[in-house]
Amino acid sequence: MTTVQLFVTCLVDSFFPQTGQAVVDIFHRLGIGVDFAREQTCCGQPAFNAGLRKDARAIAEHTIKVFEKTTGDIVTPSGSCAHMFRHNYPELFEGDSVWYPRAKALAARTYEFTEYLVDKLGVTDLGAKWNGMLTYHPSCHTLRGINVDRQPRALLANVKGATLVGLPHAEECCGFGGIMSVEHPELSAEWLKRKITNLEATKSPTLVVTDAGCLMHIAGGLHRASKSQRVMHIAEVLRNW
Amino acid sequence: MNTFRQRILESINNENLQIALDNNTERRLKGRALAFESIPDWRERRQRAHAVRADVIDHLDKYLEQFIAKNEENGVIIHRAKDAAEAIQIVLDISKESPQRHRENQKEISVHLRSSLVNSVLIAKSKSMVSEEIELNHALEKEGIEVIETDLGEYIVQLRHERPSHIITPAAHLKKEQVGELFHEKLGIPYTTDIPTLTATARKVLREVFLTADIGLSGVNFGVAETGGICLVTNEGNGRMVTTLPPVHIALMGMERLVPNLDDLALMLSLLPRSATGQKLTVYTQLLHKPLPNQQRHLILLDNGRSRLRNSPLKESLYCIRCGACLNACPVFRELSGHAYIGSDLSIAPYPGPIGSVISPGLLGENYVQLAQASSLCGACKEVCPVDIDLPKLLTRVRADMSPSPSGRGARGEGGAGLSSSTRFGLQLFARVATRPWLFAVSQKFASLGTFLLSPISRWVRLPAFTGWGLSKDFPRFAGKTFRDGYKNTSVDGELLNRPVYKLSKPRFTPAHSNTLPLFDIQFSTELAALGGHVHSTHNPTLDVIQLLKSRGVDKIHLEPNTLDEILLRAASIEFTHEPDPQITVGVTNAICGLADTGSVLIVDGAGDPLKASLLPEIHIVILKSSNILPSLPAALRFVKNTSAAVFITGPSRTADIEMTLTIGVHGPKEIYVFLTT
Repeated sequence: MTTVQLFVTCLVDSFFPQTGQAVVDIFHRLGIGVDFAREQTCCGQPAFNAGLRKDARAIAEHTIKVFEKTTGDIVTPSGSCAHMFRHNYPELFEGDSVWYPRAKALAARTYEFTEYLVDKLGVTDLGAKWNGMLTYHPSCHTLRGINVDRQPRALLANVKGATLVGLPHAEECCGFGGIMSVEHPELSAEWLKRKITNLEATKSPTLVVTDAGCLMHIAGGLHRASKSQRVMHIAEVLRNW
Repeated sequence: MNTFRQRILESINNENLQIALDNNTERRLKGRALAFESIPDWRERRQRAHAVRADVIDHLDKYLEQFIAKNEENGVIIHRAKDAAEAIQIVLDISKESPQRHRENQKEISVHLRSSLVNSVLIAKSKSMVSEEIELNHALEKEGIEVIETDLGEYIVQLRHERPSHIITPAAHLKKEQVGELFHEKLGIPYTTDIPTLTATARKVLREVFLTADIGLSGVNFGVAETGGICLVTNEGNGRMVTTLPPVHIALMGMERLVPNLDDLALMLSLLPRSATGQKLTVYTQLLHKPLPNQQRHLILLDNGRSRLRNSPLKESLYCIRCGACLNACPVFRELSGHAYIGSDLSIAPYPGPIGSVISPGLLGENYVQLAQASSLCGACKEVCPVDIDLPKLLTRVRADMSPSPSGRGARGEGGAGLSSSTRFGLQLFARVATRPWLFAVSQKFASLGTFLLSPISRWVRLPAFTGWGLSKDFPRFAGKTFRDGYKNTSVDGELLNRPVYKLSKPRFTPAHSNTLPLFDIQFSTELAALGGHVHSTHNPTLDVIQLLKSRGVDKIHLEPNTLDEILLRAASIEFTHEPDPQITVGVTNAICGLADTGSVLIVDGAGDPLKASLLPEIHIVILKSSNILPSLPAALRFVKNTSAAVFITGPSRTADIEMTLTIGVHGPKEIYVFLTT
């Protein structure tokens, strides 16, 4: 039996455990075991993006060590954490003869969740059902960071009963940007406003994302503005069978 | 709140600016996408362009040596400037040595030109971002030299005493009402918001400048190492004016702007205009080799931090070809415009947008590192970059204090450049927690309790605005039971999915080239007509030109020798001269060849001054043999190699500098007629 390593991400672990559970359920339904290495914490992206590379390295080294004790593919329900493993870890350890190969080895095992389902397992239909409209926001790091876009769209296209509607200007950033939402809140607020306006234009009550960062950002904005739309991680939509 | 954030807020709250910026973003992105449809192999071209630029930067010394030697052979005077001060001094020295034209006899000197003008050196300048980088205008004016910007957008911002807000569209931040008021106030015309009237006013004023300037100063888009060629692209025609009319031409060039050969140039030219303005080719694509007769040409190669940048982790930023696409795609630029990109000393960065947030600190130092923090690293910039520069990666390197220090000490600081101290402290604390799994789990518990106490009823915590997050959104409560709490390593208890499993079908194959060969003259006509040009097939071009001239009431033309039957012209009482004359409204030239895929014609320097005949008059008539229409630019560049100067003309002169509204006929001809002969 195949078993995958789940890198659940700090945001899902701390704020949205139901997303992680949905990922586990989906793999179990596909006959695939899920292993969760308990020493995992965060990928280190906040420190990396802020330019604090020393701190990012410490977290990255920790994460590499945790997963070196495991075998099998690493799957994460986040395009930006997959991007961190795949592109930023090698960047962090460039020129380091000890850590660079270890970072590359980790990168080679890592897949974003929908990418793994579609490209690695060849699954596009999980038997999920939905009643009503769905619209999809492609997270920046999923779309442009690791070039994963057709995969989540293919999975959503096979959700029975769901009416998929296009989100205007879908490819625009929602304004989360990790620390940018704190360092430059004025910019973040403008983009969030635009994202919410575009969501309202679709009339869809549900926005689907592949990253918990965008989820907490857009959902937090909707709650502040007293809007009724909800934001869901794609795993939770696909878990709905 | 720091001043950078205040400046951002001012931009966001400036309604006119936001309308102008939305307009810029939408039109430019749409235009770019449309233009790329005509080159289905653009992905491959982009990778090739990346490789070409990487090769140039890796072997810059070799290519520079080749480029300089060729230019010296061509009679161009080469200067190398290691920094801004040296470059400025070189321009000052040239200005002092240049003979001044006599402007006392000039019939009228426009109201806006200083009265002292008759006694001072006048420089007509076309767009150059390098000149912005070294703050050339300011330095020259201090020495009593009059510098007049001639690109419409640059002219507008110069009259407003501003810096350009965009590297391609300098006045992108202004509305036509503001330009109307400006021209009313500074140029004395009645207030109008009619863009063609505003453009025509600038044409009139600046024409005088072109004709009387002592020196023409331009930037350089590409230098071709193999031929020494200086490539300049402009839409309005001012780039041609300043390089053709004044007795002295100074070209100011960042020393990294080279391509190895003409094939590489053709590749770059297939990407630059598409990315910059959504054009298949810029209206005037010039290649200058030798100075024109009675002209002196100086080429200033500027380092100003480029060598340092080349040996730093930001090296890739030197691949940039200054198309401005990353500005148009950037959601930060869309809120800010160029004027809000400020350094810690409050000065406006010379280069805005994502590339600017890398090269402004990269070239000019620490003052501008704070710009790199204003990005969500969304990657829209990288996606549109024609040479595939990994801008998000470079931005994180600037943030990590990996930009070179002007003092030459290499990387400075411990990272987190431009970061607020509270965020830095928080992230460093978080790193300590995240490397200790037990502490991480305990912290989650405390955080859960904390957010529960802050918001016992709602799942969302209403944070105050000063936290940053709380400005526009609520914060989720930490889960009472985290994923790690609930997780039990279980074996598979679900049954295998019992439904058919579908694989994704392979993306459908679309052939890059259609099987039928295009008829080049039809394609040529279609392309040129789309740009507002006129194409006619003819068996007797002279008779057709005479008919056109009569219909327009024209009886005097500037004619390139051996183009039309001069006996027939005389018989029809059409006066012609082979000398340029600013009063003449029609110029007739031959074209060496045409380009089918862009509707362009190639004009090269020669007897009868066809370069000026195709530039100064309002109407340009071209005689082109239809068998000389080539498929595209690469096939035509071999004709350019041995010319002293050449220009590919793609449609009538145009601008979109005011509100992105396309206006035909700025400095060059308003109309172009091509007569195709068999």
